Amino acid sequence: MKTDFIRKPLQLPNEELVWTPLAVDGGPSIIPEDVRRTNFPIITKEDVIQMFVSIQQDGDSVVEEFQEAYRSYVGANYAIATSSGTSSLHLALVGVGVEPGDEVIVPAFTFIATAQAVVAAKAIPIFVDIDPVTYCLDPSKVEQAITSKTKAIMPVHVHGLPADLHALRQLADKHSLRLVEDASHAHSASIDGRVAGSIGDGAGQSLMADKNFPVGGEGGIAFFREKEDYQRALTFLNESGIDYRMSWIAAAFGISQLDRLPYYDAIRARNADYLTNALKETKLFSGPFVPEGYKHSYNMYRVKLSPEQLGLGDLEDYRVKHAVEQLIHAEGVFAREWQNVPIPGHLPFKNRRGFGNGYPFSLSDRQDFGYDLDRFPVTLNMLRSTLTICRELRTPIEYERIQAYALAFKKVDANPDKIRELAEQSGDLKVVYERDARLG
Amino acid sequence: MGDTITKPAAPIEKEHYFSLSFVLSRVLNSGVIMSIEKNDHELKGLEKAIAKLTNTKHVSLFNSFTGAVHGAFWGQDIGYGSTARLEHASEQEKKFAKWLGIQLHADSYTGIAYSTIKVDKHNLHRLEQEVRSSAVQSPVLVLDFTGLGFGPVAAVASNDELIWKKAERLKIFGAFDLQTMWTQEESEPELQPAVQFNYRLSPLVAACVKISLLRRKSSS
Repeated sequence: MKTDFIRKPLQLPNEELVWTPLAVDGGPSIIPEDVRRTNFPIITKEDVIQMFVSIQQDGDSVVEEFQEAYRSYVGANYAIATSSGTSSLHLALVGVGVEPGDEVIVPAFTFIATAQAVVAAKAIPIFVDIDPVTYCLDPSKVEQAITSKTKAIMPVHVHGLPADLHALRQLADKHSLRLVEDASHAHSASIDGRVAGSIGDGAGQSLMADKNFPVGGEGGIAFFREKEDYQRALTFLNESGIDYRMSWIAAAFGISQLDRLPYYDAIRARNADYLTNALKETKLFSGPFVPEGYKHSYNMYRVKLSPEQLGLGDLEDYRVKHAVEQLIHAEGVFAREWQNVPIPGHLPFKNRRGFGNGYPFSLSDRQDFGYDLDRFPVTLNMLRSTLTICRELRTPIEYERIQAYALAFKKVDANPDKIRELAEQSGDLKVVYERDARLG
Repeated sequence: MGDTITKPAAPIEKEHYFSLSFVLSRVLNSGVIMSIEKNDHELKGLEKAIAKLTNTKHVSLFNSFTGAVHGAFWGQDIGYGSTARLEHASEQEKKFAKWLGIQLHADSYTGIAYSTIKVDKHNLHRLEQEVRSSAVQSPVLVLDFTGLGFGPVAAVASNDELIWKKAERLKIFGAFDLQTMWTQEESEPELQPAVQFNYRLSPLVAACVKISLLRRKSSS
């Protein structure tokens, strides 16, 4: 029988492992190969029983039950459950009044769906660089990007840290723009107790299976503050004929998962705090910054490398990153690149074919869309010098596993000579954003 | 949502509760319920089942009928500003084509863009006959399985590999995006993605459709 049951426990780690030979040199891995797997989402008997219950109900009522339960949890006024995060963003944009030819400001660093949802709304994505510390849309650069065509600003709560919505709201109000949250990474994340998804005029959120709050495989939800925007979204669905409905199967799974979301959030926060504190004991690595009053949901955990702190400042940062990636993988921690090219450098924004014949880009009178990569130096720098832990920390892992992750980073940090050796051997390695763009 | 969308004629029949619940429980506990998992078998399994049923080489899955319609158009380079002919277009298809910027016409000199089969419990047992009669009308087949009661789900079936490739390119994390993820290299740069939607299907939904197809009593 195919099963997600992990049969072998991880041994309790101890600090002495930091001083053992590196795994790339034949030493013992901090996490041996046969105990590296982590599983998320976690399926419990509650999920299976909920499925038994839901299968006997009308599908629409199951979706409505889920939609209402999660809307209430987030604290949004109106919600529409959808088939995906992309469709929820599309609906949120249309709902707040984005029309063909409008411009929507989005961060250059996000998942491609943020920008594709803008194109789906027949609008033009205008990319802006990120804040070097939070990795979210930089409000100080947004104002320069506002034109007479701008209709909305759509920040992304990257990795689960809410963007600076206070500053962005001020900008939106000053220029009479709508503020739409891409809350796809930010389930349960909050600013001063207000939950992501309920703060902007509208919001879209992915609920696919690699999110902190997964429904049954694929799904999403759009939130609205104003009834008028919510109704505009419903009218759009009817007039366009487009079917963005969530399957009841996905919704059923969401109903039972929602009950356990706070518990999983607490474990994730505990683990992230542990790792962030452990990384402070290293020279090379540092964890995410979380501003006062902000709650990070840690859908992903981005580790910043500071080669100069370890005497490696003479080496190119992306070569150091590549070397560290090899070392940390061998020790059993899958810290990797998540995104390698800013979104304006992805093929759909290079060719701008859109729906065909260049639409909706053809509605713009711009000669320059501002998509050249050199316009986003902060994003480029971040991509060169960071690694991300994805599922391995999203999963509410055991205490001994988060301890082992910390030890793996400490072990790599204790071996600058090996990092140098591998970096110097990296020969014709391309800078990350000079390679073909990947979606994740 | 809209008042023109496919709705199942009736909820799932009691006699199928056990088998569907069993399938869903099995998939839930396989550790693979995400469409972009490298080791997903449910989506591939459904693609194969549909390919066999329709006697076509290539199948692309979608999370809605309109998604599949979009895939069928896009696979044939019918996009914004194009014209196309449909046979007995539904109200929903007319609205959706208009939203895509595709003008529908009745000029019988051009072939119809795709033919449609709406699958539900009433015609499940005679799908082969329906497929055969539809194949005469168009080389591209859109199958809407939403009527089976698992939520929106559809597929595009064709013998033309290029149509399949382009349809997959329309999906965020479709076959080509996934390949680039694993290989770190763009495999078909000449087939560039343009606008992309998340039309990916949940493996859980796919598993239910697959078992419905495999367990039906065929009358062919």
